[in-house]
Amino acid sequence: MISCNKVRRSPGRVYMPDMAYSRAYETYASTQALKDKGINDTATPVAGTIARGDINWTYPYKNDSAGYVNSAVVKNPLPPLTDAENTEAERLYLVYCGVCHGEKMDGNGPLYKGGEGPFPNKPRDLMGDPVAQNMAEGTMFHSITYGRNSMGSHASQLNTIQRWMVVDYIKNKQNPAAATSAPVADTTAKKN
Amino acid sequence: MSKCAACHNPLKDGTGPALKDLEQRHKWADHNELLKWINNPAVYMKDDPYTQGLKAKYNNLMMTGFADVTLKDVDDMVAYINDAAKEKPKTAVTEEKPATSSSLIFGIISLILAIIALILMRVNSSLKKLSDEAEGISRPDPVPFYKNKIYIAILALALFILAGYFLSKAAIGLGRQKDYQPEQPIYYSHKVHAGINQVNCLYCHGGAWESKSATIPSVNVCMNCHKGIQTYEKGPKLYTEEGVEVNGTAEIMKLYEYAGFDPKNAAAWDPSKAKPIEWVKIHNLPDHVYFSHAQHTRAGKVQCQSCHGEITAMDEVKQVAELSMGWCVNCHRQTKVDFNYDSTKGNKFYSIYEKFHNDIKNHKMDSVTVKDIGGLECQKCHY
Repeated sequence: MISCNKVRRSPGRVYMPDMAYSRAYETYASTQALKDKGINDTATPVAGTIARGDINWTYPYKNDSAGYVNSAVVKNPLPPLTDAENTEAERLYLVYCGVCHGEKMDGNGPLYKGGEGPFPNKPRDLMGDPVAQNMAEGTMFHSITYGRNSMGSHASQLNTIQRWMVVDYIKNKQNPAAATSAPVADTTAKKN
Repeated sequence: MSKCAACHNPLKDGTGPALKDLEQRHKWADHNELLKWINNPAVYMKDDPYTQGLKAKYNNLMMTGFADVTLKDVDDMVAYINDAAKEKPKTAVTEEKPATSSSLIFGIISLILAIIALILMRVNSSLKKLSDEAEGISRPDPVPFYKNKIYIAILALALFILAGYFLSKAAIGLGRQKDYQPEQPIYYSHKVHAGINQVNCLYCHGGAWESKSATIPSVNVCMNCHKGIQTYEKGPKLYTEEGVEVNGTAEIMKLYEYAGFDPKNAAAWDPSKAKPIEWVKIHNLPDHVYFSHAQHTRAGKVQCQSCHGEITAMDEVKQVAELSMGWCVNCHRQTKVDFNYDSTKGNKFYSIYEKFHNDIKNHKMDSVTVKDIGGLECQKCHY
């Protein structure tokens, strides 16, 4: 109010801050105090544990060339997408994939824009490119999980179920005929 | 009007584009085409690249179709928009100016009047003194004005009111951070990322859909694109709020330092060696308030921009909303809840409000607000 500077660079003061700042460790808060005590808050989950809501299925291969080759035989553990799941998969595709691969899966998203955008490499055309058309669903899953060429790993943004949903969605779009006669669901794959 | 105005403004881009000069764009001069689009956007969009582009531009939000709109409605609407586009800017200017200058004039006039009144009072008292002397009546000397109790009382009252006004204003402002715009460790422009390059908000802030916190992306999410995008060349020039020009490529290099990434030897990059970037948090709620992003974005279908402002136009992000309780409560009073539910869309949860559904059917109420389903209960947010 008193300052003449138009840009407000300081957050200002708080009246009686007892209940303003969290005593507990909140999101975004520094965890240095924990680290000093030797508690590592960013440890990866213990092997074999499954996150709540995730699927009881683990991708068996590592991020190496052998894994990439072997991924071709991996099958989608999820049952075929229902209508509601398909809508959700489309949303996931548009949020996480569409920015490069394009809304129409033509590899021409806003980041590439036919070379106009900032991204230097042309993202894979998921519809027209025979490599993408013939890519096994397991290989697609491998690429989303670990990243491939210019593409980074999206495993931190999409969990296992979501990744398979996106793969299923892309495969259905590439081959609409097969989508109608989807194979019978693997009954061993159950949602946790 | 009630239908369009939720997303469109005649002059400004909102959830949807500004409707000004609508007829100059695309095929909209032909109102039949416009009618086809409004009646069923999904079908129209299928073989129309222009509207597909629009959808991409506006956060991939599809315009809602209004099948009951007729050609006559379209004619009326376009006429209304043209009127609004012509008149609005003029009236805004002519109305605003006198408002500011008139209060100034009133202030000056009352100040002059006060001075005149003071002078007249002095004149009056000295004239009285003169006439008293002429008539030979001796009265006690008049009390000087700084000892006059009435003057002192008026001054004290004025001081009390002024000080009280400014004190309470400052006290209300304590703990509020509207317009807070801190400097970040890396000059990250939301305008370039979310605006020009149309990266979806959720690509980086996925937590806004899934959890309480919107979450700041970890370095690997930045690197998903910036492994490839190593220079800033194609966008507009960047400036800080103070007007200092920013070198975009140098800012990307700062990111590489955190990530431990060498652009000349990209294959050797080990993401596990990355250091977190200590971004400065802008929107701070006190610990005694509970707020969940997921509840608002997913169940409430609130757009990010409703609270965070035109984020796609901000180079440096600032807090647009007040984040005060009054601000929260106002929105909860006004926002309508979408009670329509079928298997493809809507929220099944709301089907438990039988009374409201019946009231809507019986035309006792036309819409349900967040307030009606408990949005003003204290313990919804404070517990």
